[in-house]
Amino acid sequence: MAFVILKDLAYQYPSSTGLVLENISLQIQEGEFVSIIGPNGAGKSTLCYALAGFVPHFFKGEISGEVEVDGRKSSESTLDEWALNVGLAFQNPFNQISGAKYTVFEEIAFGLENIGVPRDEMKKRVEDAMSLTGISDLADRSPYSLSGGQQQRVALTSILVMRPRLLVLDEPTSQMDPVGTREVFGVVRKMAEEGMTVVMVEHKVEWIANFADRVIALKDGQILIEGKPNEVLTSDLLIENGFGISRYTSAAREARKRGLWKKEKLPVTLDEAVEGFKS
Amino acid sequence: MNAFSMYAARESGLHSLHPLTKILMTLLLVAAGLALPGNWTGYFIVVFIIFPLAFWGRVFLNLLSTTWKVSLPFAISVILIQSFFWGEGTPIFEIGVLSPKWEGAMFAAVSMGKIILVMSGFLLFSMTTRPDTLMITLKQAGVPSSIAYIIVTTLQIVPSFQRKALTILDAQRSRGLETEGNLYVRARAFIPIILPLVLGSLMEVEERAIAIESRGFNSGKKETSLIEIPDTPLQKVIRRVILFGIFAFIVFGVLWRL
Amino acid sequence: MKIIINNLHFTYPTGLEALKGISLTINPGEQVAIVGQNGAGKTTLVRHFNGLLKPTSGAISIGEWETTKYSTAKLASRVGYVFQNPDEQLFSRDVLAEVSFGPRNLGYEKSKADELVKRAMALTELNDKAETNPYDLSPTWRKMVALASIIAMDTPIIIFDEPTTGQDAVNVARIANVIAELKREGRTVVTITHDIDFCAENFERIIALAKGQVLLDGLARDVLGQGEILAQTYVEPPQLTRLGKRLGLKETITKQDQFLNAIARD
Repeated sequence: MAFVILKDLAYQYPSSTGLVLENISLQIQEGEFVSIIGPNGAGKSTLCYALAGFVPHFFKGEISGEVEVDGRKSSESTLDEWALNVGLAFQNPFNQISGAKYTVFEEIAFGLENIGVPRDEMKKRVEDAMSLTGISDLADRSPYSLSGGQQQRVALTSILVMRPRLLVLDEPTSQMDPVGTREVFGVVRKMAEEGMTVVMVEHKVEWIANFADRVIALKDGQILIEGKPNEVLTSDLLIENGFGISRYTSAAREARKRGLWKKEKLPVTLDEAVEGFKS
Repeated sequence: MNAFSMYAARESGLHSLHPLTKILMTLLLVAAGLALPGNWTGYFIVVFIIFPLAFWGRVFLNLLSTTWKVSLPFAISVILIQSFFWGEGTPIFEIGVLSPKWEGAMFAAVSMGKIILVMSGFLLFSMTTRPDTLMITLKQAGVPSSIAYIIVTTLQIVPSFQRKALTILDAQRSRGLETEGNLYVRARAFIPIILPLVLGSLMEVEERAIAIESRGFNSGKKETSLIEIPDTPLQKVIRRVILFGIFAFIVFGVLWRL
Repeated sequence: MKIIINNLHFTYPTGLEALKGISLTINPGEQVAIVGQNGAGKTTLVRHFNGLLKPTSGAISIGEWETTKYSTAKLASRVGYVFQNPDEQLFSRDVLAEVSFGPRNLGYEKSKADELVKRAMALTELNDKAETNPYDLSPTWRKMVALASIIAMDTPIIIFDEPTTGQDAVNVARIANVIAELKREGRTVVTITHDIDFCAENFERIIALAKGQVLLDGLARDVLGQGEILAQTYVEPPQLTRLGKRLGLKETITKQDQFLNAIARD
């Protein structure tokens, strides 16, 4: 059975006038890395909140349908129980700093303190998580003294260290430099290989194509199209609906009109583009 | 104080005391200042006990300047209000209906002594106690973790507001807003700075609640702590004595006023 | 208006040396992108342009004004600065009032100010939102309000700090449009960005910073062709540049048309 199951999910915030999510049905296998793309206002963040239980437990509002993770229904669980299985990191790193800690090391340990991990194991887990995301050298800095990109890495590490079964990330690399972004995608891929299920909202199409197993395109609160990265990210539907596509896809589409791209499939990654243009 | 925390990292005897000892010490001084008779007791305790303690904790200048900055605007308004609205008394000067009284000003100065005592006592505590050790201590003393979290983050509110206010100030100055100059110029700058600060803080509360919930804050499990807080048998004894002292001052203060 | 930076050094009070001797000249009407890894000194550098930071040593002048001699509020008549997070500046009851705030501070005559506000709102496609409270808008549109509020100040120089962060494709295109229009008006645009593809498509000059120093500075195609040097500051060349290189094209590719023409020739 699928690890994550969404059945006919529809949702409306208490303050909003229309549905923010509508008719969402979806299954995600354990250890799968799924990326969600979509224009601003498509409902991506709300979907993240629904997976992490904050919709509806925290935001209230009206929900119908079902969110199920590991055989348990969100509607039959409390937020506190739900949070033990599902970790969420979101875009603004500044508001994810607890404010009660003095150094980055202690900040990352905060969650482990909350769930009662013994001290020696805690230290080991924090050290491992920091070395995984490449921030070991920030251990003694104040979380507030860091740049936005560094704070985003701290926020990600603070969730990774909790070892959630389902990891939900809402634009976790928006303030990172390009190499940092690619490293984070690599780390997330590695976690998925080790069995963690990952749902990640991102705009950076090239890295999604290289690292994700599946892509879901969201528009106006509904799933527009989903499937393998190469199928979804080269679909004409994306362009018609104002999604961002990779420059490789865009160049190959134009090239095809001029007879310079002969293959049937359009490329999304550098390797696919090189192969296609060489032939 | 730096832009990140009230806490000033130093090596000192005061820093190494158990947070509970320090918080009881602070409460003792405050209780003494409020209970003991005499108009100037508050000032006396600040100058002859808190300042020397601050020396010991190597935060004297830090404490002096922060106390000064925080209490000055407060002191000015209290003195103005009390002296101008004092009923019968000796006028300082008279211009038409304006006639501030010496008695009012004196009353204000006496009240300020108590306020400065409380303020400098808690500032000294915050400057020499790491926020996270305080949180652990509170929880060990049986305070629920959500209350402990609120207390600790509230003690950090000054640097946190300061940090945000500086960014907003920069953004508005970049739009040609004058922030330096006479009272009128400064008053005009108030709204463009305070509104984003307040609205931003409201939005921050929601996101922060989500962030700490995601990190198991209400997991209901028995919590552990990364750091161990050193304590000594001597301090345990001292804390009992202080606790008795606080009690004694309260009793004395009540009886004396009956 | 020319920006002249001469051997600029800056050290933060914490002791962090963020800029280590930067010398640059930016000519009137240039479109410059500044790239580099997190912590390279990009924001520290542009904060000197309008006097938010003053040099520890060295000098920077905007036209004939040396920034140490003028307040930020005064320099705001020459340099507009769009901060990364719009929520750090929005405070007015409606969009129109928000956009008018800057021009009013700069003391333009009423008719001139109205004209500037109108143009800025049209350019950022905010006309139908004039009476909306900025906080009722989505983050995307709040960003456009922030842009408009600076553009309306009609400064010869405009700085954007990460304008495309968190924006979708439609809005990125909108921002590219705004930058193109500012170029037509002859204004200087300096942008900090991590979005190197956006950079290649919209800027003629690129400055790469690394550890507080200028690593590369030149025309986009010259800078972006040097992938190995850019890697030192954690920047990867744009997608089409990398593709062109892998395909063995002789010229450095920065734009799609150029790419298509090049492969058509081969």
